[in-house]
Amino acid sequence: MTFRTLGAVCALSLGLAGAALAEYPERPINMVIPYGAGGATDISARTIAEPLGAAVGKPLVMANVTGAGGATGSVAVQNAKEDGYTMLFARVGSHSVNPAMKATLPYTLDDFRFVTVYEINPVACAVSPSSGITSMEDLIAKVDEGGVTYSSSGVGSLLHLAAVMVLSEFGVEEPLTKTTHIPQKGGGAAATAVLNGTATFLCTNSSAIASFVANKQLVPLMVTTAEPVAGFDVPTAADLGKPALHQLVGWTGIAGPDGLPDDVADKWGAWMAAATEDPEFLEKMTARGSVIELMSPEDANAFIEGQYNTFRKLVDDLGMRIEG
Amino acid sequence: MTQRQVQLRLGFGALLAAIFLAVYAIPAWVSSPSNVGNVILSPLFWPYALSGFTGLAGLGLVFSGLRLEDTGTPVNTPSENPNAAWLRLAGMAVIMGLTMIALPRLGMVLTSMLIFGATAFLVRTRHPVTAVFCAVIIPLVLYAFFAHVAGVAIPQGNILRLP
Amino acid sequence: MSFLDSLAAGLSLVGNIESFLALFMGVAIGVIGGAIPGMSATMAVALTLPFTFAMQPITGILLLLGVYKGGIFGGSIPAILIKTPGTPASSATILDGYPMAEKGEAGRALGMALWASCTADVISNLSLILFAGWLASFALSFGPPEFFTLILFSLTIIAGVSGESLLRGALSALLGLLLATIGLDLVYGTNRFTFGDPNMMGGLNFIAVLIGLFAIPEILAMVWHPTAHVGTARSLGKNWVSFADYRRSFKSIVRGSFIGVFLGSIPGIGAAPSAFLSYSEARRTSKNKENFGKGEVEGVAASEAGNNGVAGATLIPLLALGVPGDVITAIIIGAFMIHGLQPGPMMFILNVDIIYGLFIGLIVSSVFLFLIGTVAIRGFKYVADIPKRILIPAVLVLCIYGVFAVNNNIFDVGVMFVMGWVGFMMVRYHIPAAPFLIAFILGPLLEDNFRQSMLMSGSDPSILVRGPITWFFWAMTLLTIIAIVRAGVRAVKGTPALSPKVKD
Repeated sequence: MTFRTLGAVCALSLGLAGAALAEYPERPINMVIPYGAGGATDISARTIAEPLGAAVGKPLVMANVTGAGGATGSVAVQNAKEDGYTMLFARVGSHSVNPAMKATLPYTLDDFRFVTVYEINPVACAVSPSSGITSMEDLIAKVDEGGVTYSSSGVGSLLHLAAVMVLSEFGVEEPLTKTTHIPQKGGGAAATAVLNGTATFLCTNSSAIASFVANKQLVPLMVTTAEPVAGFDVPTAADLGKPALHQLVGWTGIAGPDGLPDDVADKWGAWMAAATEDPEFLEKMTARGSVIELMSPEDANAFIEGQYNTFRKLVDDLGMRIEG
Repeated sequence: MTQRQVQLRLGFGALLAAIFLAVYAIPAWVSSPSNVGNVILSPLFWPYALSGFTGLAGLGLVFSGLRLEDTGTPVNTPSENPNAAWLRLAGMAVIMGLTMIALPRLGMVLTSMLIFGATAFLVRTRHPVTAVFCAVIIPLVLYAFFAHVAGVAIPQGNILRLP
Repeated sequence: MSFLDSLAAGLSLVGNIESFLALFMGVAIGVIGGAIPGMSATMAVALTLPFTFAMQPITGILLLLGVYKGGIFGGSIPAILIKTPGTPASSATILDGYPMAEKGEAGRALGMALWASCTADVISNLSLILFAGWLASFALSFGPPEFFTLILFSLTIIAGVSGESLLRGALSALLGLLLATIGLDLVYGTNRFTFGDPNMMGGLNFIAVLIGLFAIPEILAMVWHPTAHVGTARSLGKNWVSFADYRRSFKSIVRGSFIGVFLGSIPGIGAAPSAFLSYSEARRTSKNKENFGKGEVEGVAASEAGNNGVAGATLIPLLALGVPGDVITAIIIGAFMIHGLQPGPMMFILNVDIIYGLFIGLIVSSVFLFLIGTVAIRGFKYVADIPKRILIPAVLVLCIYGVFAVNNNIFDVGVMFVMGWVGFMMVRYHIPAAPFLIAFILGPLLEDNFRQSMLMSGSDPSILVRGPITWFFWAMTLLTIIAIVRAGVRAVKGTPALSPKVKD
């Protein structure tokens, strides 16, 4: 083979590559969901997959890759080719709480490029009716007496951090020693732990406990948003004068590996804009208690960065970071 | 191998494993934060407990082995040709090793075709034509099912990219 | 509203072709999905979920329940035919089902699996309808200390499935417990035996371990000795289960069903331990104790009754409390919520028609399961006639696809291979696989609940005897251990040197 043919081959393949990029997507896109079937991320991802698939024009292949609180699936995308054919449904737990809390995490925020955040989930705190607690004041008073516990879906989950952050905002000086964290396996088990009296309270996405609140099995104490949440007849963080808690919300977004090309990111921006307009999607998500709020790639990165920094500061101040 | 040998080998194996776990593996590969308040809650507690139990089970196996008289009856039916059998096992290990290397590169369908063929001939099938036919068809059918009915992202290869 | 009014309201809701068609389709999808290793009932339900979004709430939920019920039975088909459990719940079925298929009795084993499944299904559904309220309040009194004692008791099952040597059973269980520690620590989130690999942080995938432990050793044994099967009767499974078989196993089936109902109504245990517990109880009380593990039809009946008994009962915490008992019901709860239904005590007041509609559907589903199962067995049992040296490579390829599909991760295929070699060594050294599996499932639960109890009480161990439930399970555990020790002593004293059998 001469240099000229080699050059021609290179040119040809480059040309092909260029053409392929221009036509992105030319084949189905793998969408990794780092959490299990039936969870909040999974339902959100599969709900948007329908209008999003229509906007993309190629099938979206949904793949649940679970394990280690979302880390296994995130690493799968971190190591994937940066061609836009492997994307991740990133979630608050895997991409702001985990990086803030775990020194052992095999990835950082810089390993990903976010193309959007499309869903915000308010966080609510709740107790069991038998506890006799009806307001945040009661809860804080109980904390001073001692013996208060909170449940979470695991170490380094949003639920874990949320409970600590709420306590610390309400003036509990050493939330780690005054209260006890009882981790559970999964968000469902965390709610059950409060139902059966294993733990005193939990702070989690409002949608996860909406049915318990409607059935009067749990008593809500507050929500972290500025606006009230339907079905939760309680003060907001703004009412209670704790605006810092507005940062404490769940979210779902889409990310690719760090080196994702700009034109791919732009395409995703356009597709998401079309997909989130879909009335059926909006109706389903709002019924589940989510707030649909589409962010551009830049806004999404800034939002996540901001939340990460808030969490990181709290974690460092309290010495909660998991080393080793 | 007789019953006595089985018990003794397992017993000594378990003892060695218990010592290895307690002396090297647990300190090296299980990390525990420095601020653990109570020894019962430490991440190390359960692994150490397990290595202790393993040691006990090992002792029990050794003693029960020593109590057995050697009958000389082997516990496994011998293979007709042990050397060839070991070779075939090694061949299977190689197939599995290659599978792990080939899966991300060749894709699942091509790799499965090769595995099917290789395994069928390794066990000296009496139906070579059927085996080759199945080696091509079965991975394709499974692909069609898992990729298009179940919606699973079956790994595609660099050479062959199926619709 | 009286009971009859509720019933009429429910009937009017489900009394249409659409609902029954959905239920029928669901059972059929479930049986097929469950019969494909790696697909499992969980995945079949997850895949069906999106189709229910566009349906009437009751139709959609009936479809999912059909898939669930069909899937739990379907898993027993590959367990019996190719020693690969279709769902984790059917791993106990292997213990006697596969030896039966080896003896040429695949049809009888599959038939018994179906009959036992349907009987357990009916008992489970009736328990749901009659005792939902009562069992639900009971389920909520299970905190970590109660779980800890229940699981401690369940671990004594190991003695029942250890086979010829209790010590080797214990060794197998310890191996399972050790491998189950891989992953992130529950309380501190630190790494245990992960070697820095993110794939190990999630722990070893249960289904990969399960298939590796049962199916791959069979392939390696074939490689070791390709002609061992030649001449043994593994021909057409034309035989069918007889009514006498069923009558003989009836007690075990009923006992297994109630074990299933009990464990199913407590969230977080699942169907696999229930099947093993039912199996070991049947073995303990059976006249044919010696034959268990060698192809005893009663063993198949007990395991299948144990796992199907769970299927109806997991709906008790789901409907009465809104608490999902396992992964599958967690997905089904998603379907309720999509349709704006909120399971829980209020649902029995606000949507009583849907509740009764579901009850009627569930009863009908047992009948459908019987019909579809009979047809499926007729179709599938010819797998037993495929030449074994074609079947084995096909099983290997099927396992690779299936294990990959569980979590979309090639690493799991490697886990399956490695566990296959472990399993093969265990077979060579006559170490039973069942204790490994039970320990692998229950070990993490035992440790987690123990540590959660300690966190609750501030490391005060007296919390482990805090109420009647814990006392009950402590007593049961103690009694079982005494019985095991006595049986061991008797084995050592009596009939020495009769056979090379191990005495311990």
